[in-house]
Amino acid sequence: MVSYTLSDLNMLPEKVVKPGKNGVLKAVDVFNKGGLVIYPTETLYGIGADATNPEAIKKLTEYKNRSFGKPYSIAVINQEMAEEYVQLNNTAKNLYRQFLPGPLTIISKGKHRVAPGVESEEGTLGIRIPDYKLVIDIVKTLGRPITATSANASYKKRPYKISDILNSLSRKQIGLIDLIIDAGELPKNDPSTVIDTSLDYKVTLRQGKIKFSDKNEILSRSEENTQNLAKEIWQKYEHNYKHRAIIFALQGEMGAGKTIFTKGLGKAMEITELITSPTFALENEYSKGGKKLYHFDAWRMKNSEELKVLGFDKLIKNKSVISIEWAERVGDIIHKFDDEAIIIWIKIENPQAGGENERIISWGITK
Amino acid sequence: MKILAIDTSCDETAAAITENTRILSNVIWSQASAHAKFGGVMPSLAQRMHEERIDWVIEQAIKRSKLKIQNLDYLAVTIGPGLSIALGVGIDRARKLAEKYGKPLIAVNHLEGHLLSPLANSDILNLKFPNLGLVISGGNTIFIKMNQLGSYEILAQTTDDALGEALDKAARMLGLGYPGGAILEKLARLGNPKKFSLPIPLIGQENRQIFSYSGLKTSFYRLIEANKLKDLHFPSKHDVYDLAATFQNVAFTHLIRIISYILKNDDTTYRDFFVGGGVSANIEIRKRLRNLAKENGLQTHFPYTQRLCGDNAAMIGIAGYFYVTTGNLTKNPKEIDRDPNLKLS
Repeated sequence: MVSYTLSDLNMLPEKVVKPGKNGVLKAVDVFNKGGLVIYPTETLYGIGADATNPEAIKKLTEYKNRSFGKPYSIAVINQEMAEEYVQLNNTAKNLYRQFLPGPLTIISKGKHRVAPGVESEEGTLGIRIPDYKLVIDIVKTLGRPITATSANASYKKRPYKISDILNSLSRKQIGLIDLIIDAGELPKNDPSTVIDTSLDYKVTLRQGKIKFSDKNEILSRSEENTQNLAKEIWQKYEHNYKHRAIIFALQGEMGAGKTIFTKGLGKAMEITELITSPTFALENEYSKGGKKLYHFDAWRMKNSEELKVLGFDKLIKNKSVISIEWAERVGDIIHKFDDEAIIIWIKIENPQAGGENERIISWGITK
Repeated sequence: MKILAIDTSCDETAAAITENTRILSNVIWSQASAHAKFGGVMPSLAQRMHEERIDWVIEQAIKRSKLKIQNLDYLAVTIGPGLSIALGVGIDRARKLAEKYGKPLIAVNHLEGHLLSPLANSDILNLKFPNLGLVISGGNTIFIKMNQLGSYEILAQTTDDALGEALDKAARMLGLGYPGGAILEKLARLGNPKKFSLPIPLIGQENRQIFSYSGLKTSFYRLIEANKLKDLHFPSKHDVYDLAATFQNVAFTHLIRIISYILKNDDTTYRDFFVGGGVSANIEIRKRLRNLAKENGLQTHFPYTQRLCGDNAAMIGIAGYFYVTTGNLTKNPKEIDRDPNLKLS
C-alpha cells in the first residue's frame, strides 16, 4: 500500500513502477535519457543517475540540494566493472573478495572516468556492489554505473519507503524525479558502511636518494631500551639545539614503537607532560618542564602538502625540534630541508624471529 | 537560554543551536555524510581547514532551528584541545558574530563538551557533585572525577593510543580501511571473541591507573602476521569477524578493569556516571559500562543520539549553558584565544 497520493505530489502515475523486468527496462530507458530514478536496495532507497553523464549528475546535485561538491558513490555489478573506474590496491581487493556484494561502500583512487562531481576533490571514488538483483540487472543492461546515493535530500530522514522521501521534498525536487521503482517498505537496515582504502597506498620513500653520513643499528629488547636509545641520539645532536632545526623522522609498522621513541626523546628534553599518540590530532606540542617538542603523525595525511599547511616550513626556520611518525609518507617535504636541518632517519622493525618486545632500530643522518 | 555553538576542533565542521539542554539543530559537516552517515571518510587536511564550509554550516544551524541570530542569548565556541589551525577558524567566526550582534561569547573546552553531552535532553538540571565522567573517542580516553563544573580530577588516562584510535588501527590491520572502528564493531558482532587469544593490557599493574593500547596493538599485529605465515589464505571472512571480536573484547575488558579497580579503591560516594565521545556510540561498550555502573551503584548516562557521540557543536552549546548557570561566565570576545593543549583541570 502506498500512503502518498500521486496527484497531491504532482506525480504522474506512469512515473511509478513495480520492481521486475518492466521496471528494469523503464529505468534503463530513463538513465539513457539522463534522467533520475529512485530505486530500492538492500539498505535503503537510492537515487540513481548515469554516473558518466555530466547533465544527469547536474540534475542529481540539484535534486540532492547540496551546497558543496560532495562526491557520489556508484553502483557496479562486479569487481571487473569496478576496476574500469577505480584502482584497487590489496586492501581493496581483499575487501571485495570477502564482503562484496553487500552493504559496503569501498573508496579507492578513481580513474577519472565518471562525470565531474562524482569523484571527491581528491579524486577518490566510492564503489557499491549491491546485494540486490534489481540494481544489478539495471546496471548490467545499462552497461554503465549509476549513482548509489540515498534518495533523501541532504540532512533528511533515511528513506525506507517512498512516502518518507516524497514528504521531505519540495515540489521542485519531486519534479526532477523521472521514475520511481516502488518495492514498498524496506527492512530497516543501516545505510552501507563506508571504508576508505585510499590511505593504504604504499608510499615508498625513494631510499636511493638518502645518503647517510653514518649508519647505526641496534637490537632493542624493551620499551625502556628504545627510550634510552632516543636519549642517546638526542644527546649526540643536542648541541645543534637552537642553531638548527632537528628532525627525528620515524618509520616503522603500526605498533613498532614510534611513539615510545618520542616518549624517550621527550624525557631527554626534560619534558614532564605525558606524550601520547598524535594520530588523531595530527600535531601535538609539548614544552612543560623542558624544551619545546613538536610531535607530528603523517599517517592520516593524504599527501605531503598537508604537512606544509601545518606550518612545517616555519618550524624549520624557527630551529624547532620535531619528531615525525610515518615520515616516509612526507619524505619529499622533509628532504627539502636536508641542508637546513639535522635530519635523523630512524627505522624501527620487528625482527623475523624474536620476542614480542624486540626491535631492530637503525638510524642515520642525511649528509 | 538560547546558544549558537561552534566546534572546529579537528576533522568536523560543526554548528548547533541549543536552548538550555535541548537541541534545536545540530549540523555536522563531514566528508562521511556524503556517502553515508556511518563509518567515516577522512577529509583531507585542506578540507580540514573548515574555512570554506563554516559559514554554510552556521547558516544551516540557524535556519534549521527556525530562530534568528538576533534572538539568541549567547555564542559558545570550542577553544581546545584540538588542531591549532582548525580551532582558529571557529574562534574567528564566533568572535566576529559575537561582536557584530553584541552577544556574549563563552569559551568551551571540547572535552567538557563530550563529558556533558549525555545531559542533552536530560531532565537533570541540577548536577550533584562529585560525579564521574568518561570520554572515549579517537583522540581521548580519560576517566574523570567531577568535583564541580569546571573542577576536574583525572583518575586515569591513556598513556599512548586513545581507545577509538586503537579500534580504528585494529580495523586497518584487518584491511578494513581507516578509520574503521565503526565497521569493526559491526563485524565483531558476527565473530567469536574467544577464538583467538590476546593479552589484556596491564594485568597486575592496575595500580598504575592508566590505560594503554599500544601493547595490544603490537600483539594484534603479531597475531595476524603469525597466522599469515601458517596459512596463506589467512584471514578468511570468518577470521576477520573473530579477530574483530577478539580485539574489541580485549580493548573493552582493559578499560572496564581499570575503571573497576579505581572505583574499588575510592571511598567517595558517587551517583552519576557520564560517558561521551565517539566510542560511546558502541553498543557493546555501553552494555559493559552499564553493568559496571550497576555493580558500583552508579547511574550511567550516555548521549541520547549517535550524532552527539562524535564531534559536534550541540555538546558545546550544552556545556556553554552549564558554564553560564554555574557562574563560569563569558569572556570578552577579544580575550578568547585557541588553546590546542587545553586540559581538564
